Amino acid sequence: MKTLASTFLGLMLVAMATVVAIARADAAAGKEVFQGSDCQSCHYTQGPATEKSIDDQLAKKGPELWYAGSKFQGPWLQAWLQDPQPIRPMKFNSVMEPNPGGHPALSADQAGPVTDYLMSLTSDAVKAGTVKVKKKNLKGRLIFIKKMPCSGCHQFPTKKKFSGGLSGPSLVGAGQRLNPDWVLAYLQQPKVFKPVKMMPVFVGLLSDKDMKNVAAHVATFK
Amino acid sequence: MSRFFLMGLLMLILGPTATGVAQAADGEKLFQFYCAQCHGTEGKGDGPNVTGDFPVDPRNFTETAEMNKLSDADIRNVIIDGGPIADKSPMMPPWGKTLNDDEVEALVQHLRQLCNCTGKAG
Ligand code: HEC
Ligand code: HEC
Ligand code: HEC
Repeated sequence: MKTLASTFLGLMLVAMATVVAIARADAAAGKEVFQGSDCQSCHYTQGPATEKSIDDQLAKKGPELWYAGSKFQGPWLQAWLQDPQPIRPMKFNSVMEPNPGGHPALSADQAGPVTDYLMSLTSDAVKAGTVKVKKKNLKGRLIFIKKMPCSGCHQFPTKKKFSGGLSGPSLVGAGQRLNPDWVLAYLQQPKVFKPVKMMPVFVGLLSDKDMKNVAAHVATFK
Repeated sequence: MSRFFLMGLLMLILGPTATGVAQAADGEKLFQFYCAQCHGTEGKGDGPNVTGDFPVDPRNFTETAEMNKLSDADIRNVIIDGGPIADKSPMMPPWGKTLNDDEVEALVQHLRQLCNCTGKAG
């Protein structure tokens, strides 16, 4: 009986190690696909952020991905890479031009490994489990639509369909797309992720509690 | 003697641009990056965020008469603390934690160019 149990345990361990090894192998394969698909010509994957001026920010051709594993939810990422619909209503780094779409798409075979690779790129600045997500966060909602101008620059879902401004990434579907702990870190430590951006810094204007509430509210966006 | 003086003067003029340090904040560039998204690239209050959903019209900075009612200090305060400091809408964001004093000043000057006005004293 004892030997049976330990054999079982041993087998379990081997299985788990294999799963981890496969994930690693997939991440390595994903990195190759990423590098072979010209993704780097528009996305940098090496942190920390180096943008120091508006010119640095405007010189980028696409968003940086060096913390993609902290920012995104894996299932969303895998689906998006195969069917990359516009996230930003406006063209990247443009104030007036609408987003033309047409982001390069990956096949299902490629999207799995590339997702594993991108999800392996994480930032220590994001602490897991700090934002408690519930069905509703009324305090966060009040900040988002009334106290602060968030809704002036971001689309968000409403009863009708959606509402809000166009200069920031749309937050419709953010509950599936973004990691709530990353949203909090993004608000709390703006310099880490985007040292120069069109969004105002809210540190000192919103308390830690406010930021947690608003991050939890964003996580309810379908 | 006077040649040295001239050289010094030249260096004073060219120095900052040539070395890249001590660059003055560029009001136009700041405006296009931070403000045009609501106030429009020409400052007419018609940026891409002003859709049918937008609750108030962002100030049109080319309205000379309206802008003349504001002092430089009024403009500065609204930029730093946002609309509510002047009993205006919170849709006008507070930029005080984003921009430094030089940048705010450059923006005040840029708005004065757009309105072609000097505003009330104070
Ligand atoms: C020509 C430049 C360009 C190339 C090449 C490119 N991207 Fe992008 N990528 C962009 C832009 C611009 C966006 C923003 C799209 C949007 O908001 O709709 C983006 C967005 C993304 C995002 C979402 C990031 C975010 O913060 O919203 C991911 C993930 C991504 N790209 C992965 C890839 C992968 C993987 C490849 C290679 C197969 C790739 N990209 C190739 C320009 C590019
Ligand atoms: C003046 C416009 C503006 C305001 C006001 C604003 N944002 Fe943003 N926000 C942006 C822009 C632009 C970006 C994209 C920055 C970049 O990637 O360079 C952004 C990015 C974000 C992101 C990351 C989205 C992504 O996919 O990368 C989140 C989350 C966010 N904002 C939440 C908020 C919240 C919450 C508030 C209110 C407390 C707020 N924003 C207020 C313009 C704004
Ligand atoms: C999210 C949209 C938004 C952004 C971005 C924005 N503003 Fe505004 N701004 C507004 C709105 C809306 C008003 C009008 C508020 C009202 O009338 O209640 C306004 C009003 C103003 C006023 C006039 C206040 C008065 O007393 O009439 C000034 C000055 C101003 N903004 C400067 C700026 C500057 C400078 C920037 C860039 C750093 C900027 N704004 C960025 C939305 C915005």
